[in-house]
Amino acid sequence: MFLIRTLHKWFGLILGLQFVLWSISGAMMALLDHHKVSGEPSVREPAAAIAPAEPLTLARLSQAVGAPIQGLKLRPLGDGYVYEAMTPAGVKLVDATSGQTIAVDEAKAAALAIAAFSGSEKVASVRKVETGDVETRSLPLPLWRVEFADKEQTTLLLSTTTGEVLERRNNTWRLWDIFWMIHIMDYTKRESFNHPLIITVASGVAWLALSGVILLFRSFRRQDFAYVLDPIERLQDERKTRKVANQP
Amino acid sequence: MRLPALARKTHKWLALIMGVQAVFWTVSGLYMTAVHIDTIHGDHLVRAAEPAPIALGGLVEPGSLIPGGTRSVKLETQLGQPVYIVDAIPGRMLFDARSGELLSPIGEDAARDRALSYYAGVGGIEKIELLDAAPSEIKNRPVPIWRVEFAGLWRPTLYISPLTGELVAKRHDLWRTFDFVWMFHIMDYEERTDMNNTLLRVATWMSVATSLTGGWLLLYSFRRRRRARKAGA
Repeated sequence: MFLIRTLHKWFGLILGLQFVLWSISGAMMALLDHHKVSGEPSVREPAAAIAPAEPLTLARLSQAVGAPIQGLKLRPLGDGYVYEAMTPAGVKLVDATSGQTIAVDEAKAAALAIAAFSGSEKVASVRKVETGDVETRSLPLPLWRVEFADKEQTTLLLSTTTGEVLERRNNTWRLWDIFWMIHIMDYTKRESFNHPLIITVASGVAWLALSGVILLFRSFRRQDFAYVLDPIERLQDERKTRKVANQP
Repeated sequence: MRLPALARKTHKWLALIMGVQAVFWTVSGLYMTAVHIDTIHGDHLVRAAEPAPIALGGLVEPGSLIPGGTRSVKLETQLGQPVYIVDAIPGRMLFDARSGELLSPIGEDAARDRALSYYAGVGGIEKIELLDAAPSEIKNRPVPIWRVEFAGLWRPTLYISPLTGELVAKRHDLWRTFDFVWMFHIMDYEERTDMNNTLLRVATWMSVATSLTGGWLLLYSFRRRRRARKAGA
């Protein structure tokens, strides 16, 4: 027991701070509303659209794409419908009625973001992200980053090839992300929780917790629970004496 | 009460309440960090689809399958054949892209063939069944759904949509264990999804208090020993 107490003390000295940080960051993540963090409410459910009765024929689509097609989608984009063709050279968007190639440029990205955004605030900035940061995580680059002028500084990240909204960020997420970084101990990319540092520290802190539980058995004396145990024992004693008294 | 005694008493009583949960938190955390998340997701269970060109000549026009009621269409290859996955007003459907024949809902043999084509592991199919209620490991997924369990390590299981023939989810015992320890980590013992539940909110702040009083107690724990040693010398 003395050894366990010594170990608990030294593990506490070395790893206790991380236990405090895990508790605080965990407590803060539990406090921050996960729906707000995910940015779910800031994106509108797309209106149910119906594809044009006679979209571009496959023969004309083939011509417009001009490359071998490995997969195809006919889907809504903005107000119209597009063919999204997967080719060895990447994704190509073709207007499903006119057959014109569509580029997701700055104006298009802004328009798509506005259509997707559930708020009424204006766009604050549109920027092409070429190098990744904590906001873009491991999303394919480049990306369109459209920030809105709402209080939460809601930001939508759109694919430059498909025009899809790939990710949503806001100030609640940005705050949450700091605690997430502390929690997973990935201080640069905030992405991986499977690295040697956290596995090592988690092993040590697991022992800190377990040794603490073992110590609980030694730390409490009967006296600590006297206010509960005394009345119970008194009742038992009374019952015993009554039994003895009742015996013939 | 003297401060060291107060520190010991608060730490002891807080630990009595939080100790077991602290073990749950750290042990579940250790599992989640030690087993790589890609392994948990079962990425190794399925073959990466190799993109191959699809000959568009001779294919049915995608807009002609459900005229006037199509939301979206996807052309892809399943079992080496081009197929259309149509999201239409009546629901989602699977068509042979060459003949335009409706393939969905796919039967047991078609589900078995697809499962084998997606599966990257060794070993055959142990059990295949059509589920009308989603088990908790794929909750929120539409039913009915084909559940295909393989004979490999950790009961690898693929879920295949009868409407589209697509792989919907992959599960194995490492995932199931992760989900189980995650339940203890976020203390949502019913849905295993609510990270903002009151129990967790209260427990995490109590854990802050437990660890901080532990730090407070450290101040006295080391000084006392040094003094004792000095006295001994």
